[in-house]
This record gives sequence, structure tokens and C-alpha cells, in this order.
Amino acid sequence: MIGLIVLATFTTIIVLAILIIINDDLPHSVVLFMGFGLGSVILYFIFSAPDVALTEAVIGTGVSGVVFLVTLLQIRSKEEIRR
Amino acid sequence: MNLKKEIEVSTFIVSLIVSIMTILLLPIFLDFNLTLTSLGNSLIDLNLVQTGSANAVTSVVTYFRGLDTLGEITVLFVSIFGIGLGLDRYREKLNIFAYENRLLKTAVDILFPLIILFGFYIIIHGHLTPGGGFQGGVIIASAFLLMFLAKHNDVTLNHKIISIAEALSGAGFILLGFLGVLLIDRFFGNFLPLGRVKTLCSGGVIPLIYIFVGVKVSAEMTALIDYFIRIKDVR
Repeated sequence: MIGLIVLATFTTIIVLAILIIINDDLPHSVVLFMGFGLGSVILYFIFSAPDVALTEAVIGTGVSGVVFLVTLLQIRSKEEIRR
Repeated sequence: MNLKKEIEVSTFIVSLIVSIMTILLLPIFLDFNLTLTSLGNSLIDLNLVQTGSANAVTSVVTYFRGLDTLGEITVLFVSIFGIGLGLDRYREKLNIFAYENRLLKTAVDILFPLIILFGFYIIIHGHLTPGGGFQGGVIIASAFLLMFLAKHNDVTLNHKIISIAEALSGAGFILLGFLGVLLIDRFFGNFLPLGRVKTLCSGGVIPLIYIFVGVKVSAEMTALIDYFIRIKDVR
């Protein structure tokens, strides 16, 4: 059972990583990146590293996603001003 | 044409280096009889005797490798310093939401103290359960992030208080290390009584170190988030 979960999560995060790279829409890519972080949280927790899972849950899915989104918004507002 | 040629050459060099490293490192991955666990086992054996901490990872991070933690904190401090140097002149806040989100505003009033409490719980119980100063500090910073997202027009961060908290906790962290040198001849030495294992008041200096690390990390991450949601005033 655990092996099945691990295999499913591995394939999901590999597919998500490929999707992040080939996606043209950058905010879409950031949301997929947060999903990638969630998959790695599950993997870290199954492989008995709960503190790494906690760090990944807060930084990988929370803070870095928001920082990416805010940076995209900043770049867009500057481009609009330049026009 | 010229640019394309350069890109192809650099791609070729990078792939060559990666394949050479793969071939060199392949024996490590294929050798299953490699005994890399000897150091880990001796650390786990030493853990309860020397630190009295129930969490072996915490005692490695703060006691056996306390100098590395000092280095990590210095790296974090220098990066936040650089970001502040670059972004401090941006005063106006970024307009993230076009309208006031009433649901988020109401939820933040309830969730903000709970997330702060959870972060301090993670920090204080670093020597008993998974987690510790870094994780708890980032959880506290994420509470501030939620606050900035919901009420970015009403809330401003007082950078003076943040920098005072950061400076005091950093100084306290290094002071604990030098107290260890003075009292028992070891940087981050355990000069406090160990206490009973698996209770809150155990582990000697480890909870104190993690409280300082947690306050420092939370102050730095909160300052970073505040710098990132600002924008230059162009109007």
C-alpha cells in the first residue's frame, strides 16, 4: 500500500515538474510548482523525515509560491507603467 | 547565428561535465555494501548521554554541529541584508487585491494568533518533536504573510522592532556559544543541567538556542516578505 502511494506520488511530481517547465503561462506554472511541493511533502513524510516535510510545507508550498506570484505581479505592473 | 553557436557549445560542455560526474559517481550508487551509517549510529548513541534531547536531529543541528547552524544563520542574515539594501527605497505597497476580501479579513483575525501560537509551539518543542527554530520561525513569518495579504492597506511593519528582535536574538545565540567556551571549553557546550528526558525542561541549552534561532529566523523572513510586497512609488 505504502509502495503504491510512493509510486503514484513519484510519477505525479515528475509529471508536474515537466508541466512546470513546458508551461507558457507563468502564474499557472507557479501554482503547479506549489503542487510539486505538496507531492514532495508527502514523499518526505513517508520516508520518515518529518522535519524536512514541515520545512518543505511552509517554504516550498507557502512562502516561495507567494514570493514568485508577487514578483510576477511586480514585473507586470512595471511593464504596464512603461507602456 | 553566433549566439546560437555559443549556446550549443555551452550546452555541450555542461552535458559533458554532467555525464563525467555521473560515470564517476556511479560506483557509489551501485555499491550497496558501503558503510556510511557508522557516524550516524555513534551520534545516536552519544545523543542521550551528552545532550538529554529526545530528538536526535535537533541535537545534531544545535549541539554537535552548532557552528554550522551559526553559518546558516549568517547566510540568511546576509541574504536578507542584500534584499533590504536593494529594495528598501520602495515605499508604496503593491496592490495585490483589487477589492477588499471580507472572508479573508475575517479569517485572518481568528487564524493569526493561532498560527503564531503554533509556530512558538514548534520552536519550544524542538528538542522533543520534529521541527525547531527554522521551521517554527518560518511558520510565524507565514502568519505575517497572511496578514499582509488580507489587510495590506491597514497594516505596516515596524522595521525598528524587527531589527531590534533580530539583533538581540543573534547576539544571544553567539553569547550562548561563548558561554559554552568559558564554562566547559566547547563552543555551544551544554552548561545547563540536562533534566529528565522527554519533558519540556530538558536538553540543557538546546531549547534556548532554538528559541533564539526561531526569533531570528521569523524576524528575518517577515522583513523579507515585507520588502517583497512593496513597489516603487511612481505616481
